[in-house]
Amino acid sequence: MTKPLVRLYNVSYLYPGAKTPALKNINLEIHPGEFLGLIGPTGAGKSTLCQTLNGSVPQFYGGRFFGQVIVAGLDTVEHPISELARHGGLVFEDPEMQLVAPSVENEIALGLENLSVPRAEIRARITQVLAAVRLSGAEKRHPQELSGGQKQRLAIAAALAMRPALLVLDEPTSQLDPLGAAEVFATLRQLNRELGITILLTGHDAEELAAHTDRIALLAGGELVAQGPPQEIYSRVELLAAHHLRPPQVTHTFQLVRQRGVVIPQLPTRLAAGKRLLHALPTSCPTAKNESVAAPDHLGPALLAIKNLTQRYANGTPALHNISLKIRAGEYVLLVGQNGAGKSTLVKHFLNLLTPTAGTVTVDGLDTRQLETSELAQRIGYVGQNPDDQLFTASVEDEVAFALQNLGYAEAEIKRRVTVGLRQLGLAAQRTAHPLSLPRGDRARLVIAAVLAMEPEIIILDEPTTGQDYRGVKYILELSRELHQRGKTIIVITHHLYLMPEYAERVIVLGKGTILLDAPLRRAYHAKELLRRTYLTPPQAVLLAQELAPPAGGSAPLRVTPEEVAACFLPGGGR
Amino acid sequence: MSHFQSSYQRVARDSCFTRLDIRSKLFMICAVTAVALLWQNLAASGSLTLGIILVALWAGIDWRYIRSVLLLSTIFGVTLLFFHGFFPHVGIHQLAGRTTLTPLFTFPAHWRLLGGQALYREGLLYGLSVLAKTLSVVLIIPVGIFTTELDNLIVGLVRAGLPYKIAFIFSSTLRFFPLLLTRIQTITEAQRLRGLALEKMGVVQKTRSYAKIAVPLILGVLLRSQMLELTLQARAFSGSAERTQLHDSRWGPGDYLLCAGSALFWGGALIAYFGWGIGKW
Repeated sequence: MTKPLVRLYNVSYLYPGAKTPALKNINLEIHPGEFLGLIGPTGAGKSTLCQTLNGSVPQFYGGRFFGQVIVAGLDTVEHPISELARHGGLVFEDPEMQLVAPSVENEIALGLENLSVPRAEIRARITQVLAAVRLSGAEKRHPQELSGGQKQRLAIAAALAMRPALLVLDEPTSQLDPLGAAEVFATLRQLNRELGITILLTGHDAEELAAHTDRIALLAGGELVAQGPPQEIYSRVELLAAHHLRPPQVTHTFQLVRQRGVVIPQLPTRLAAGKRLLHALPTSCPTAKNESVAAPDHLGPALLAIKNLTQRYANGTPALHNISLKIRAGEYVLLVGQNGAGKSTLVKHFLNLLTPTAGTVTVDGLDTRQLETSELAQRIGYVGQNPDDQLFTASVEDEVAFALQNLGYAEAEIKRRVTVGLRQLGLAAQRTAHPLSLPRGDRARLVIAAVLAMEPEIIILDEPTTGQDYRGVKYILELSRELHQRGKTIIVITHHLYLMPEYAERVIVLGKGTILLDAPLRRAYHAKELLRRTYLTPPQAVLLAQELAPPAGGSAPLRVTPEEVAACFLPGGGR
Repeated sequence: MSHFQSSYQRVARDSCFTRLDIRSKLFMICAVTAVALLWQNLAASGSLTLGIILVALWAGIDWRYIRSVLLLSTIFGVTLLFFHGFFPHVGIHQLAGRTTLTPLFTFPAHWRLLGGQALYREGLLYGLSVLAKTLSVVLIIPVGIFTTELDNLIVGLVRAGLPYKIAFIFSSTLRFFPLLLTRIQTITEAQRLRGLALEKMGVVQKTRSYAKIAVPLILGVLLRSQMLELTLQARAFSGSAERTQLHDSRWGPGDYLLCAGSALFWGGALIAYFGWGIGKW
């Protein structure tokens, strides 16, 4: 066994003023060349652990630190962060926040200049790392011109240029579309295999982590709960569920198959293994329970109507091109597409946050150009992607009361509605807390509470699952279901298609500013080639369903959930 | 990011100014500022301002940015004209070389507060001249700064003898300003999305509403600064001057030409002013 590159001995840590430790008695070793995935629910201590490895914890934050962290032979408490940076590169979740230079080459050069690397060597390394992250040719571009995936790869390149033995990435793919995330994972795997760089990555993307990592460590409540190969950890479905985590969909599917009495010695954690297993087992899919692809019949008249909408930015860049669509009252619509496809741009027209370059947008027959955003907001509740951009008062209750005050409600009514709203979103206990002091999951729920206080007819959730663990995701989506059942029109924007079959009815696929597909969810999820055009991949359950043999004389059933796929396996089969 | 914000950092296109060293451009800024402060004559000051606007446009500064500066300066201008026009100080008498100024308009004597008060021609001319001087100084700075890459700005300033930490703070401030504007925009948008009808508010209500933004704005900026500090430390930044640079700061013929031109302009303006009174009141 090689000597570990990273060693954590009995590490415990409390942030300044905190009563409970963020990390509790952690013992962990990471070996050279290893790709370690760190998983855990929100607030588990993943980011804190990452920051112990470059000395930011405790050197930058202060607080009480116990135990010892050794990286490349250096004690992270005794050596300054700037020195530790030579050995361990740290890449944060938000690519926007960590790019500080005016050009791609300057971004990479910054660390090297600080290390006094000679100019010729800096130039050589820029070329090398840009090739490694597949950004060659982008040297002179401004980082803000890059896509989300490219920005994150640039952040990786900047860390990589310093030639660290260890690369630590804290949820680097949470804000990326599937293509961006796949690019980042592919790059990391390549760096790990070809250059032997040791990688520690945190995230919630079970499918990608199962496919790329060598080992998974599960952190919960600041404690290291389990560690082992991805095959082993992701097969422990009950353990994951107990910590509000989910296994890859392929694992979940075959766990359900196993529950049907089919003998499966080892649950697959990768799609390829799942497909092999599927073909080895007896299946029969006479008819699916819910094969309907027609639009639901409970819907009302068109509430939102877009006609020939075109949007061009000031510099002439086209964002939307000649889009026409109608959304009826009571619909639950899923809006999908790659980063930059025009999803957020489209919904911003509903609120008159953007004025069409051409075409019209109407809400209940009224042209949005004739209405102010504040008026439209009373009918359309918009919950944006980043909760921190939408919180601006000094307390949780003030945040919810803000809209009610603007609508002119009496003090007593405001108080009543605030209480109801906070209770509904599980935030009653934090009533007097400062919004920014809440964990990210709670901050997102607070924004939803503040928007719902206005009781809008239409609710738009723009990437509501970003930065949430599985529990947070389910909480928000269940709430959306409840609102939908109460007759509200729901529009959700997300990259995570696997979350939505239980909720959405209709899918609008956007690509390069145009509508590629507008269809019922089942049909849209099975349009694999079309989804690929906007760099989306159907959930693993759909890909498995497409491997199932169609019933004799019929077409393949449009199954979209693990439960529906598992139902095709004959009880008592297997090895 | 709006065009105004992005253009604050860097012009969108190359010009002869983008190829010059920041030190020669700083020399040009100093020379033009000195001349602007020297001249009192409205025609001379106004011509200088107009010339600088043309140079700024030629250098690639966005017209919308210049227009924003001009619009903002109208508040300042109205204040100047009011005070100097109605209440000319002794300096204006000295510049005009007379004890009695030329009234253009006098309020009827029976008017409360303003009754009998006159608006003086020399006061107005002086106010306009001060406005032109201010605009010249304000507009020549972006010609030098916005046409320089931030990295080249740091290198140039360090070469000019400024400590690296100070140069870095200066460049970070320039980088931070557009972020601050974006943050203000984001918060007001979030407020409108919660039914805040800014467009229906009076000036007092609007001011009160904007004042409330201060706290979340400062908190947001603090969080951002903290993140920036973490990022920089993770890139081995220690503020030490012991570092290398990707780009060199080299003087070319254009820099010598600009310095010579600026020196000639400054020297010529001085000779013309004291020799023939050009630029004097």
